[in-house]
Amino acid sequence: MQGSEFDEAAFFQAIAASGARALLIGRRALVALGIPVLTADYDFWLHIDDIATFNAAVEPQGLFPTRTPDEARGRGRYVLENDERVDVLVARTVPTVDGVRVAFEDVWSRRRTLEAAAGITVAVPALDDLILTKRFGGRPKDLEDIRLLEALRREGP
Amino acid sequence: MKGEAPVDRATLERVRALSERQLSPEEVRAALAVPLGEAEEEESRSLIRWFRRRYPTPAERLAYARRAYLRWTAARPRP
Repeated sequence: MQGSEFDEAAFFQAIAASGARALLIGRRALVALGIPVLTADYDFWLHIDDIATFNAAVEPQGLFPTRTPDEARGRGRYVLENDERVDVLVARTVPTVDGVRVAFEDVWSRRRTLEAAAGITVAVPALDDLILTKRFGGRPKDLEDIRLLEALRREGP
Repeated sequence: MKGEAPVDRATLERVRALSERQLSPEEVRAALAVPLGEAEEEESRSLIRWFRRRYPTPAERLAYARRAYLRWTAARPRP
């Protein structure tokens, strides 16, 4: 992976300018909020109607989808990749491993924005919602991230 | 990590498999029911305080994460 050649600011700028309803989730969101964890990829939860818009926005960054929008809608997720990898979740609702149904529209309505680069914002879920998204996977590393997010909550803004 | 013996690829793969295995709903509920211990919480909060102090903005934190990942990939063992 040639990460140094990827223009992250341009990537976030393109997403913001596209108008796609895209939430940065996963470990990259933890980092932006203030938790130092290692991560290789980007994870987004995208509105199911905004797949084509999102794909067109990041194509100039050399990122290409592994599935057509229809296939992605059918599977609920897809990947954009090249030198970087972007995992995209596109389901309207996602159940946590312990059975809580989480709706994109609800999470989107409670989103907060962070400045990902000078003058460029990225949307992330509210802290409680980000914790819920970490329960989608139910892996030990997700539980560790939940513990870090709980510590962040107690640390305050 | 300076001065420590490099971790071999097989060990890295075992650690990755353990951290990414799928837990059952019961395992998740049980794990989430255990509160953070005092020492663990203080360690986590101390790490967060350092990171937010050293990198006050989300942009600086994201840039740090990219640098850290590049350092990690450069240092890890090759197949």
